[in-house]
Amino acid sequence: MKMQDRSWLSRLGQYALVIWVAVTLNFALPRLAPGDPALSMFTGEGDPTPKELAELGALYGLDQPVLTQYGQFWFNLLHADLGLSTGHNRPVAEVLAERLPWSLVLVLLGLLGAILAGTALGAFSAWRRDTGRSGSDKRLLTTVLAVDAMPGFWIGMVLIAVFSAQLGWLPSYASAKLPEGQAAALLESARRLVMPVLTMIITSMGTYYLLARASMGTVLSEPFIRLARAKGLDDRTVATRHALRTALLPIATNAAMAAGSLVSGAVVVETVFSYPGLGKVIADAVAVRDYPLLQGAFLLATVGVIAANILADLLYPLLDPRVRRARTVQPA
Amino acid sequence: MKKLLRTFNRLPFTSRAGLIIVLALSLLAAFAPLVAPFDPHERVTRPFATPSLSHLLGADDVGHDLLSVLIFGARPSLLVGFIAAILATSIGMLVGLTAGYLRGAADTVLMRLVDVVLSLPVIPLTLVVGVLAGPGLVTQIFVISIALWAPMARELRAQVLSVRERDHIQALRAMGATHSYVLLRHVVPAVSPLVIPQLVLAVKSAVLLEASLSFLGLGDVTSMSWGMMLSVANERSAFLTGAWLWWVLPPGALICLTVLGFALAGGAVERASGALNPRGKKTAVTPAGSAGTPVDPDALLQLRSLGIGYGPHLSGGCNEVNLVLPPGTVLGLVGESGSGKSTVASAIVGLLPDAAAIRQGEILLSGQNLLALPAGERRALLGSRIALVPQEAQSALNPVYRIGAQILEAIDVAQKLDSAQAEARALQLLCLVGLPESKYRAYPHELSGGQRQRVVIAIALANDPQLLVADEPTSGLDVLVQQEILQLLSSLRQRLGLSMLIVTHDLPVVAELADTLAVMHQGQVVEQGPTSQLLHHPQHPYTQALLASLPDASQFERTKS
Repeated sequence: MKMQDRSWLSRLGQYALVIWVAVTLNFALPRLAPGDPALSMFTGEGDPTPKELAELGALYGLDQPVLTQYGQFWFNLLHADLGLSTGHNRPVAEVLAERLPWSLVLVLLGLLGAILAGTALGAFSAWRRDTGRSGSDKRLLTTVLAVDAMPGFWIGMVLIAVFSAQLGWLPSYASAKLPEGQAAALLESARRLVMPVLTMIITSMGTYYLLARASMGTVLSEPFIRLARAKGLDDRTVATRHALRTALLPIATNAAMAAGSLVSGAVVVETVFSYPGLGKVIADAVAVRDYPLLQGAFLLATVGVIAANILADLLYPLLDPRVRRARTVQPA
Repeated sequence: MKKLLRTFNRLPFTSRAGLIIVLALSLLAAFAPLVAPFDPHERVTRPFATPSLSHLLGADDVGHDLLSVLIFGARPSLLVGFIAAILATSIGMLVGLTAGYLRGAADTVLMRLVDVVLSLPVIPLTLVVGVLAGPGLVTQIFVISIALWAPMARELRAQVLSVRERDHIQALRAMGATHSYVLLRHVVPAVSPLVIPQLVLAVKSAVLLEASLSFLGLGDVTSMSWGMMLSVANERSAFLTGAWLWWVLPPGALICLTVLGFALAGGAVERASGALNPRGKKTAVTPAGSAGTPVDPDALLQLRSLGIGYGPHLSGGCNEVNLVLPPGTVLGLVGESGSGKSTVASAIVGLLPDAAAIRQGEILLSGQNLLALPAGERRALLGSRIALVPQEAQSALNPVYRIGAQILEAIDVAQKLDSAQAEARALQLLCLVGLPESKYRAYPHELSGGQRQRVVIAIALANDPQLLVADEPTSGLDVLVQQEILQLLSSLRQRLGLSMLIVTHDLPVVAELADTLAVMHQGQVVEQGPTSQLLHHPQHPYTQALLASLPDASQFERTKS
């Protein structure tokens, strides 16, 4: 138990460190960059005059000592004050809070789908290899590597071209006004989600495929698989109930690590589909150089990744009765 | 050149394919002006022209020839990929070398930093840095390196750590060689072979990231990379018209080809498979009939001229194995590791590894040749008539299920019981192997090694099998527990009239229990007979040597008399 507590503490420390680095980067970057940091907070039209910049600097406390500024930065942050979006002319926190639910839906559905599809394919691949059909394993592996090599936004564009423009089955723009009536609006939202979620799944599946394949491959050579076979269980039961169930453990520990790449994937996918989530906000912020908004989104994305990790830590004991990180059985 | 070609030919097929793709794309980039039909910066036709013979991929919104733009696009795409990868590898190598070589505080701090960078979401991070620096190729290279150095540092550090422990490095340091000498002359050369595939894989990630960044607006409009082409096509909504075929598909396909090429060249396939054990191909062989010993009509189990081989040449394994096990008796199969005894046990239960195949012979259970049965019927015998107590029984229980569930599963295979009856049967089995009922709800990790061994025996007995095959039933247990398990097997045999085949390398283990003994050596049974006869009057030189090597043979005389 002692060991476990310590590893908990060290993990929490790591998470705190990540957040601290993200916040400090946000603070330091505009101040390290060439030019006046007030420039990144300027909300008006055209180029600001030096006088305007000085006023803006004073407003944001940029004339104070750096440490005071840093303290103020944290103070504001803890009061959910992320500054003013220069593009939206509204508090950054407000803009982000408005878009967050949309992104959560997309990322969660994408994550779920990617884990399911990737794990199933990876486990299948390893099973094939274990039962002496390594040819089909290798073909599947190469296919997944090829899919993994496709840029996410390109997959999105091709899906739109085929299913919206050519076949007309699905709507291509996710941010248009929803129709009247609750049922109709819900149906339309679901239809709009299909392609973005599909794109997310296709682009993030590879990670989980490789994880599942490696994990399943190791599990299949464990002694308990032999005992399961010796019980007279059929192949499917051995593969799913015993091998796959146990192979899920390392997949679960590593799944959260891949959450970061999923958030990154969401940024491009949302841009392609004009999906009204955080990713689209980020892409738009890049276009108009809305720096405060970009900072806020970066921080929120980091917090999201950390939250995913904490969630995985909390859920892990449900999967592994030993509540240990090590997957192998400890000999007596 | 010849040497280079030979090295190339020795690479796996996938790596060679990857290298060819990479080489072809690099040549395309280098000779773009010669290959491209037009200047990509000049308006050569009307805007949005559809493909024609003179403009195979049509034109963009300004009238640039898209084929030429595509060919020239290889230049910024690959350039950013290469430079960013080299930069990231250099930083990663520097950090990895420092952390791995100095260890201590420097290592802790650097690796924490690496972990932090790995936790930050890549695209938002690169955008937050990139937007301040302004769009362009230099910015792209800069932010991609920031995102990619960390995984490299982690992998290289692990390598440096292992190199550092090698004997000659330790000796050099003991002789007082300077750090810089050891690092530059010994550690760096030893780690370098690993850096090259890492670099190649980094190019892959960099190319993909460049495309995403260009698409998101960090690209350089003056140098149309493939990602930039797609970004422009997206802004002009090219994918909503027929233009997607010539404006959207080709650049994406080339990015995909490039990334896949670098992935394959960097050995992505081998990397993914390296973690898994190599598996041999199954060799389909119909076992030849046997002309060995005559069929014994009373035997429960009889092996006749059994021959098993491994791999494509069917070598190793065992040869001409003849064994007889009358009902209600215990046969001890003794031999050193590699003598083929476990292979024989696996063949009897029908769980040979894929690489192994039965060359010849018969395995008769009550006169029925198991090898002639179809796979389904063969499996139906497992657990019901033949039970196995496998090797490494302490880790043979699935760690994620309760003991009770694992016993129930074995009962369910062969018996049709309702859940209450099945549970009663499972509890009865626990009692039979001397475990309290409270263990029914326990997980394997909550049991001692001896208790787990008992559970495995309970599972084997679930369906009242006629034959119990125990493969090294006492290995990994301490001496007292070994005794307990042997006593359990002995009492089970008396109470249930069980027939057993016990496979072991440890002669004293079976000497007390077995009615007959068979000694295996180099894949053959060199001697078999009643236990006392074999112990007192060994005929074969190997058996004599085996007995002589035991600490005190007189002990067995007492137990057997």
